[in-house]
Amino acid sequence: MTDMKFTNTLGTARGVSRRGLLTGAGRAVIGGAALAAGGPFILSARGEVPLKVGLVFAKQGTWTEQGELLVNGATIALEQARSQALGRPVQLVWYDEPSPQAAQQNFQKLAEEEKVAAILGGTNSGTALAMSAAAKRTRVPFITPNAAAREITGKECNPYTFRVLTTTPVASRAIGPQLAAIGKKWYFICASYAYGMDVYAEMRKQLDAFGGTEAGFDKTPLGTTDFSSFLLKIRQAKPDVIVAGLPGGDLSAFLKQFADMGMKGRIPVACPIIGDSDLWSIGPEAATGIYGKPWHFSDPNNTAADMEFIAAYQGKYGKPPADKAWLGWFSMRSLLGGIEQAGSVEAAALLRGLETARFEDGAIPAYYRDWDHQMLRRSLVLKVKDRITDKWDWLDVVKVTPENPLDLEKQFGTREEIACAMDRA
Amino acid sequence: MIETLIPQIVNGLVLGFLYVLIAVGLSIIFGLLGVVNFAHGAFFALGAYFALTLYKWFGWWAVPLAPLLVGLLGMAVELLLIRRLYGKEPLIGLILTFALGLLIEALVRLAWGAGGHPFSPPPFLAGIVEYGPLLITKYRLAVLAATVAILAGLWAFLNFTPFGRILRAGSRDAEMVGMLGINLPRVLTGVFGLGCLLAGIAGVLAAPLWTVTPSMAAGAIMPAFVIVTIGGLGSYLGAIVAGLLVGVVTALTIQFMPEASAAAMYVLMAAILLVRPRGLFGERWERFE
Repeated sequence: MTDMKFTNTLGTARGVSRRGLLTGAGRAVIGGAALAAGGPFILSARGEVPLKVGLVFAKQGTWTEQGELLVNGATIALEQARSQALGRPVQLVWYDEPSPQAAQQNFQKLAEEEKVAAILGGTNSGTALAMSAAAKRTRVPFITPNAAAREITGKECNPYTFRVLTTTPVASRAIGPQLAAIGKKWYFICASYAYGMDVYAEMRKQLDAFGGTEAGFDKTPLGTTDFSSFLLKIRQAKPDVIVAGLPGGDLSAFLKQFADMGMKGRIPVACPIIGDSDLWSIGPEAATGIYGKPWHFSDPNNTAADMEFIAAYQGKYGKPPADKAWLGWFSMRSLLGGIEQAGSVEAAALLRGLETARFEDGAIPAYYRDWDHQMLRRSLVLKVKDRITDKWDWLDVVKVTPENPLDLEKQFGTREEIACAMDRA
Repeated sequence: MIETLIPQIVNGLVLGFLYVLIAVGLSIIFGLLGVVNFAHGAFFALGAYFALTLYKWFGWWAVPLAPLLVGLLGMAVELLLIRRLYGKEPLIGLILTFALGLLIEALVRLAWGAGGHPFSPPPFLAGIVEYGPLLITKYRLAVLAATVAILAGLWAFLNFTPFGRILRAGSRDAEMVGMLGINLPRVLTGVFGLGCLLAGIAGVLAAPLWTVTPSMAAGAIMPAFVIVTIGGLGSYLGAIVAGLLVGVVTALTIQFMPEASAAAMYVLMAAILLVRPRGLFGERWERFE
């Protein structure tokens, strides 16, 4: 059989998305690295059938930016692997996640109609939880990069679901001591959904552990644009610290109005997990606070692979990668690593491959813990610089946990604490 | 308790005025053209984005220029699309404007990206005003003053100018106005442009309060619809009273039951519609009944 040439003009996630939409299927098919580089891609006889990997990330609504960043990162990981796994070309198929229910339906479509080998998806905990149930039902391995709610690898865990982001309890344990050192009267303002309530529960535990008191607790509707009335309440309560369990745009709006009302610098704001773009969208004059993040582009502990990713991202998008882009990149890298480890894309083998693969990540490699499928790796606590001079780098790493890498397992919780009973039947 | 309630009520009233400004354009378009403009939130967002871009070239001249541009775009949309809907089934207009809203939001994402953009108030309006328990930002006070001035000017325009009289007459009996030799289609183009201009003004004023994101349209459109429904479809006074009511009710709900603050305006709407199905100031309109 003669080699056939296959040229793909689709280079970036954005371009693909548009093309996909125009073809009416509402999906995007992303080509590989060699294709993005513009050169022809020669397939071997064995590789004529592409290996499909599904993506379910937001293309519209509040979570679009996160979706775009995650896909950008995942695409770079694939490009770095020359768009191949086990010698076969890898093709990405990207569906939208407008709501938990629609995300679940799209997951099912990818599994049953596109016959994908695995799916990466979930810009948030709500959609990730919904898709986790679909993963169990369709028996397709699912990696969720950006969902923090504990249930995903806790009570709702299943053999097909893997999570990369640090859980809320771990991030809360990392940031808690920093905040207790500032003061022990905390005000909680948390969005009324899985992640926000998780932040409240875990940070409240931290407050209790340090013998502090709750100055107030407000549940905010998801998507709140005006926080002025909440800020008036907080101001009257005079807390030492404000714990904001707010996602993406909600946190941006809160911080912006917090600064406008003259509260910046008076009461520290903290959040166990944030994204870079939440701060970038409000401008340096409004940025303030202490935050948890899984990764930061200027962290001195970044590995050689991280540096390569940063260079590739900067070359392609003209700015450093936000943490969400890194999460997309690391998730795709872990999937490709799992496939290589398994030597197969058959679901049972791939699950085992993901459970046993190890990924370069500094002092000790990162890995998915085999009994709950949570990725175990370090967490960062960062503080907004007192004086911001760089266009993008606004944060200083103030703490890396665990301080002793051998405490990693302990930091992510024991079997009893996690309560994951994985039914492998 | 008073010390707690007064700042919240004042804050709610200020927020309510911004809601009124968003809603009044919607109300005018419905009242005069009979079109439920689902793309109103998208025109609101466009006001903010145009200001963001024009600011780089024209400085603070962007503040009047951006809404004017939105108004002109609205007129073009009326000429190309909306005009074909007059006298047709209202559902068609609803579907068309809904699609238009989605299209504009997608175009905004393509042009300006999916991420948020910071937009700060002018330096002389930065800072806060404190008076006893009251605390309000100078910028919010400026928004309040600007909104009151715009609403008063608009009311005078609709009630005391020949153009305003033509508009009101045309909305009641288009045929009669046409027979009087008035070029009504051109007037209607102007009305749609005016409604979009008002949405653009609200967008420009809201940009420094909230961050400028493509999804800001969704945050504006729902309160606007609720306000127009509570006030009575097409009623100018109704939109003002309802906007202030929604602002105050939302602020007080945040004080006492924060998790229900997003639902509060819908509960208010349901309660008012149960007692008065046409809304607070809704009239009987022969063309719709």
